[in-house]
Amino acid sequence: MKKIFSVRGILTLFLLLSIGFAGVATYYKITHWGFSINPKEKTDVWTIDAHISFTPLPNENIEVVLATPRNGDEYKILSEDVLAKGYETLKDNVANRIKITSAPRKKIQNIYYRVMIYDNAEVSGKLREDAPKGKPVVHFEDEQQAGMAEEIWELAAQNTEAVSDTQRIILLFNQKPLNPQVDAFLPVKKNQRIMSDLIINMLAYKGIHARIIRGVKLSERKNEASADLMIETYENGKWIVYDKDTGNTGLPKDFVVFQRGNVSLLDVSGGKSSKIDFSVMKALSSSFKMAGRRAKYEDSKIFDYTIYNLPMIEQNTLKWLMIFPLGILLVVLMRNVIGISTMGTFTPMLIAMSLVKTGFIPGLLCYGLIIGLGLLLRVMLTKLNLLLVPRISAVVVFVILIMQVLTTIGYNMDFRIAESAVFFPIIITAWIIERASITWEEEGIRNSVKQIFNSVIVAIITYAVISSAYIRHIMFAFNEWNLVILFIIMLLGTYTGYRLTELKRFSPLVDKEKKQ
Amino acid sequence: MNWLKIFSYPRKLHEIGVLGMNARNYKVISKCNKRSLYPLVDDKVQTKMLANKININTPKMIGVIEHQYQVKDLPDIVSGHSEFVIKPSHGSGGKGVLVIKQFSDGIFITASEKKLTFKEVYQHVSNILSGLYSLGGQYDVALIEELVHFSNAFESYSYQGIPDVRVIVYKGYPAMAMTRLATKESAGRANLHQGAVGVGLDIHTGRTLQAVCHNVPIKIHPDTGADLFSIKVPMWREHLLIGAQAYEMTGLAYLGADIVLDRDRGPMMLELNARPGLAVQIANGKGLIEALKKIDKEYPKNLSPEERIDFVLNLKK
Repeated sequence: MKKIFSVRGILTLFLLLSIGFAGVATYYKITHWGFSINPKEKTDVWTIDAHISFTPLPNENIEVVLATPRNGDEYKILSEDVLAKGYETLKDNVANRIKITSAPRKKIQNIYYRVMIYDNAEVSGKLREDAPKGKPVVHFEDEQQAGMAEEIWELAAQNTEAVSDTQRIILLFNQKPLNPQVDAFLPVKKNQRIMSDLIINMLAYKGIHARIIRGVKLSERKNEASADLMIETYENGKWIVYDKDTGNTGLPKDFVVFQRGNVSLLDVSGGKSSKIDFSVMKALSSSFKMAGRRAKYEDSKIFDYTIYNLPMIEQNTLKWLMIFPLGILLVVLMRNVIGISTMGTFTPMLIAMSLVKTGFIPGLLCYGLIIGLGLLLRVMLTKLNLLLVPRISAVVVFVILIMQVLTTIGYNMDFRIAESAVFFPIIITAWIIERASITWEEEGIRNSVKQIFNSVIVAIITYAVISSAYIRHIMFAFNEWNLVILFIIMLLGTYTGYRLTELKRFSPLVDKEKKQ
Repeated sequence: MNWLKIFSYPRKLHEIGVLGMNARNYKVISKCNKRSLYPLVDDKVQTKMLANKININTPKMIGVIEHQYQVKDLPDIVSGHSEFVIKPSHGSGGKGVLVIKQFSDGIFITASEKKLTFKEVYQHVSNILSGLYSLGGQYDVALIEELVHFSNAFESYSYQGIPDVRVIVYKGYPAMAMTRLATKESAGRANLHQGAVGVGLDIHTGRTLQAVCHNVPIKIHPDTGADLFSIKVPMWREHLLIGAQAYEMTGLAYLGADIVLDRDRGPMMLELNARPGLAVQIANGKGLIEALKKIDKEYPKNLSPEERIDFVLNLKK
């Protein structure tokens, strides 16, 4: 009995309970919610979150009208819903617009519109739409620009390979490097809206009807970005979609149209400074959103209280957080079971985290460079005999400066490796430099290099585990296993066996015993 | 699979009673040593005060520098002393210890014959105060104490540095002892993994049991050529007594006492450690667990420090 009530006994009991719970929860999620153990789904299901925010005008009724994706040939809509507390929602299925209304309000308002899409197919660019009426209208910024339009078209015409005028002008505008004449013609400030408008104007000059398509490019990394634009022109009796950057025709597979033509994407009356941002999430959310539908179908209330029902930004953050416990478990194993001494307990894990964001090889190279330069500065600082805190602070500032320089150089030279510099934890890096330098001074360069080497090895091992899409999916989709990890870690806190390194350290004692 | 041979089976280590780091932390330290008692030994100034109260010999304190603005008064504090040691009060493993062999006319000469200006010493003290050498990196104070004139008994056994005797004391009983001798390779430091010589000492007599360098048994000191098996620590009983008294003094049931032998004043307590390392097992060539178990089961309780030492010393006779 005594054994059962010992710390270890209780922890083992909890571990078994948590494994049981996790097992049941996993089984439930798979059977009732349709979660998959495999991160890859048969069909890609995308969840798009539109985040509308605006400041209400005093004492005015609020009416928000948002263009929404249409259930068409390109994709199928699984579900859509609006998260707006106290608002009234009205969906117009013909015009594909959602109207959200409310009495006057105070404070900044946040409204979420979420749509789930699957089977997004590539469309050749032929879309059944009404033909445009009348002649297209040209709006140039000034006379000068209008005057240059003809010359620009002459330049564009030199491209004989392009399939159409639209493609010609897009390619000319996106040439690298830009033709100096085109460079002079284009406005100094370029963004996708300005460029699209200019392309449309150029086409109108030629008498071609063109318009903007607003939508969202499906890529998982996206967090709170504005809408993406494409251009559509009316040629030979049909609408053709062009990519405004590459000139390619056809609606790409990864583009979901929210609004096309002359209607607006978002109208807000009774509010000002309105803004709309989109977040996109794939795969995981797919099975979760499917799950949500199934759960609703089964009238399961639990789902509403899981992380899979949160807005996408929070989900993306949590997805990232959920991998931490596993990393921490690795650190504990490395320390107490293997017995590797590293610089700072959690430093290798934090480095591994950054490596996930930067990519493996570029991250290591970049980090090595930062540490190397930092150590060099630190050696110089030694001679100045500064006090401890100012000295470390100086290293921190220096590390920030190195990151800044690397990032700038990386950006300008199109050298992706250096751009990742910003992802490294600054203070930790400074401490690594300081510790490495002190170890160097006190215990010699061998020990210093050994410790850095150990830290890097542990970081690489941690990276190998947490960068696996499979493991990340499981830790997020079946997050109940984190509870199991918690109890494993606590149980390891009572581990009194030898560390692997001790088997080597104390091996002379065994040899001696043998000889006697 | 030859490289695997550098590892030994855990079962074998267990059989010979080797105490591992995890077992030390979980089974011994966390059960024997109350957290609240740590400051008594982590802070060398406090340890010294406690020791003085019960008449344990320690190097005499010359002064303490607590604040940055006091650093400039260092020459006044040490005036009248031509030799002294500056150490961080919360330091560990000999880090940040500055031994001044000769101080005159504003020139400090260290044990390794380096000449330092006041500015350099000032810098060193500043570093101590800002916590460079302290355990958690927190602010520290600098302790200035008299230099130990170390006994001729150890003269030829160490390459630079003062060899001290480390006694592992469990529940007031000395369990195991060793001395660590610096070598050229260890650069005057006493850390075994850096190449210092570890000499296991017979707890009953203070004589050499065995000596190891880099885990290999040796007979003579690699630098000085001294016969390591001729070591017999003088005043061994007094050494052990200091260790035994440290138990009552601090209340720590598992501690390491570092004791140094002064030419004139005899054995002195240099510092105490609430988490003594496990190298003592390598120096002695045997595991600690057996000794600890014996003390737990067979040794009488409620004895005074003197009685305990007598008990231990009489065991072998």
